[in-house]
Amino acid sequence: MQRRQFIMLGLGTGVSLSLGLTLYPVLRNTEQSRTDAATLVLDALLPALLHGALPVEAAAQQAALRRSREAVLQFLPYLPRTQQAELQQLFLLLQQRLGQLALTGHWLSLNELPVGQRLQLLNSWRDSYLATLQQAYHGLRELLYGAYYGQPQHWPALKHQPLEFNPYV
Amino acid sequence: MYDPIAEGLSRGWRHIDASTLTTDQEFETDVVIIGTGAGGGIAAELLTQAGFKVLMLEHGAFYSSSDFRQQERWAYPQLYQDGAGRKTKDQAISILQGRTVGGSTTVNWTTSIRTPANTLKYWEQEFGLDFASTGALEPFLDLATGRLNISEWQLTPNHNNGMLQRGCQTLGWEYTVIHRNVKGCANTGYCGMGCPLNAKQSMLVTTIPAALDAGATLISRVSARELVWRGDQIQELWAVPVDLHFQTDPRLKIRIRARHYILAGGAMNSPALLLRSKVQDPSGRLGKHTYLHPSVISGAVFDEPVYGNQGAPQSIYSDQFVWPEPEKIGFKLEVPPLHPVLMASKLTGMAESHADLMRQFNHLQVVIALLRDGFHPDAQGGAVQLDGHGEPQLDYPLTDYVWDGVRRAYLAMAELQFAAGASAVLPIHHDAHLYQSWSQAKAAIAELPLQRYRATLASAHVMGGCNMSADPATGVVDSFGRHQQLKNLTICDGSILPSSLGANPQLTIYALSWRICGELIKNLSV
Repeated sequence: MQRRQFIMLGLGTGVSLSLGLTLYPVLRNTEQSRTDAATLVLDALLPALLHGALPVEAAAQQAALRRSREAVLQFLPYLPRTQQAELQQLFLLLQQRLGQLALTGHWLSLNELPVGQRLQLLNSWRDSYLATLQQAYHGLRELLYGAYYGQPQHWPALKHQPLEFNPYV
Repeated sequence: MYDPIAEGLSRGWRHIDASTLTTDQEFETDVVIIGTGAGGGIAAELLTQAGFKVLMLEHGAFYSSSDFRQQERWAYPQLYQDGAGRKTKDQAISILQGRTVGGSTTVNWTTSIRTPANTLKYWEQEFGLDFASTGALEPFLDLATGRLNISEWQLTPNHNNGMLQRGCQTLGWEYTVIHRNVKGCANTGYCGMGCPLNAKQSMLVTTIPAALDAGATLISRVSARELVWRGDQIQELWAVPVDLHFQTDPRLKIRIRARHYILAGGAMNSPALLLRSKVQDPSGRLGKHTYLHPSVISGAVFDEPVYGNQGAPQSIYSDQFVWPEPEKIGFKLEVPPLHPVLMASKLTGMAESHADLMRQFNHLQVVIALLRDGFHPDAQGGAVQLDGHGEPQLDYPLTDYVWDGVRRAYLAMAELQFAAGASAVLPIHHDAHLYQSWSQAKAAIAELPLQRYRATLASAHVMGGCNMSADPATGVVDSFGRHQQLKNLTICDGSILPSSLGANPQLTIYALSWRICGELIKNLSV
């Protein structure tokens, strides 16, 4: 069984059946749809995960979020293809109504949920009995925090001033 | 700034970046070496100097000190396996492995430790490898020590290591000043991103330049895909370029015929090539018994600044708990360098709680406990398998025996950090909190649920999967790295270790590879 089928089955049996749904949607899986899905999910989760770390000023906050999202998107192609496929599938599921309902318990799209509910959602994945949801929590968390704290613009809050032999902009 | 790689290339070193090739290629050579890390680097220098025509293959890029950027967002995708995102199959353990010319030696933290006597004794008892009783490895440990300028670190440890030392002193625990393979080290702290000063005596700046100076050829950005074999002989190797993201790019084929093949791709990658090649495995151990030194993490907050990103990343270790009573797994205490991405991705919590901890970045101190796996029936490591793309995945089960070590490690690290003066300690576990006293931490750690995804585990030492043994029934290679079935194949890298070491592995791999290649040169010269 392919990993993708496994995840679908895991989510289908573990989550959506409990809601009386059969979760086996036909996923649009083009390059553009993958990027769109990733962007949508990242734009919803980054403000939640980084709540308390982001700059307060609106323009600076938006710039920080944009930088972090781009950093994630640029990093993804370095992951093993199997891991990339799993993440892409998660992003696609999260942008679809049925997938969203199964994964979040809400009909509202992720970016319509208040930040507190997005954090509750991530916590529910962390504490889920489903390994796939726990993996999603840890995988996204590492990816998103790595993307944010990898940017020198976000280091002043840490009072981090590293040496730099070869400048990297 | 002096760049030995740029200078060598300008002198005419033979280097091919496979990602720039446009047509199929064929190569003939005496010896092809797959991988340029600790094993491949030593092999390249020795075989080239013995007069053999040598071809080196490396999946990663041929970067040098001029390329290295002192930022994790550059270093991880460019220098590490899977962008530093490699994990066990169930994603419960993160794995750091280098993937660049010089392999992990280009990005490791320079800790150089001789093979522990207890480990050699275990190998003798279980695998008939007589290094302990004959002292056969000692001369090669000495040779590698000399070649790579390994010596005790003379400067004061940075505060991150200093807290480990202080905690040990307060508690009366053993600690040791680490030996490092450096020359002219400026104590900057960027070992993990490629040394910007060429001070680290990695394969990148020592043996590989020596081999290239002596006429060897290096192909970078190439992935060895299959050994074609018949009977007891490998006939040729098929490889493909990789793209700019280091993914295999099968648009063209590279065929290599050699008199002898040396596999040095590191644990996981070396067994994966043999699995893809469907090489015979009568011992049933190919890819099996792969060890990680699964590492448990404990953070602490100090009132005084720690600046864990500055200075030699590792200069103190403690072996207080490495060899406890036989029925318990031992662990070595060390510290990691503290850079923002590494720190942020491992710290627990989210949103405000995570941000609060990150704001204390310069006051955070971290200890890691490396569990010594492979010495007990309930710590037999993991199995390398191939995913749908033919890439390795490590299925690593976590047993109760290992989890018991995790709990004892959390306890030891918290006790040590409070003894060193920490104002609070945070075991890196998703159910743990900041604890303000040793008694509070002790009580809480006793109740932590120990299961995958709750405890954050990591590894920087992958070992085994093609283990040595004197008995073909219990090993993939013999004590000279000779494959038990394929007569023109030698393996010299971390995959041949029959257990974990209970110590950082680079010096052991250098020494074993030196010994293996000396024997190989004798045999090939006949």
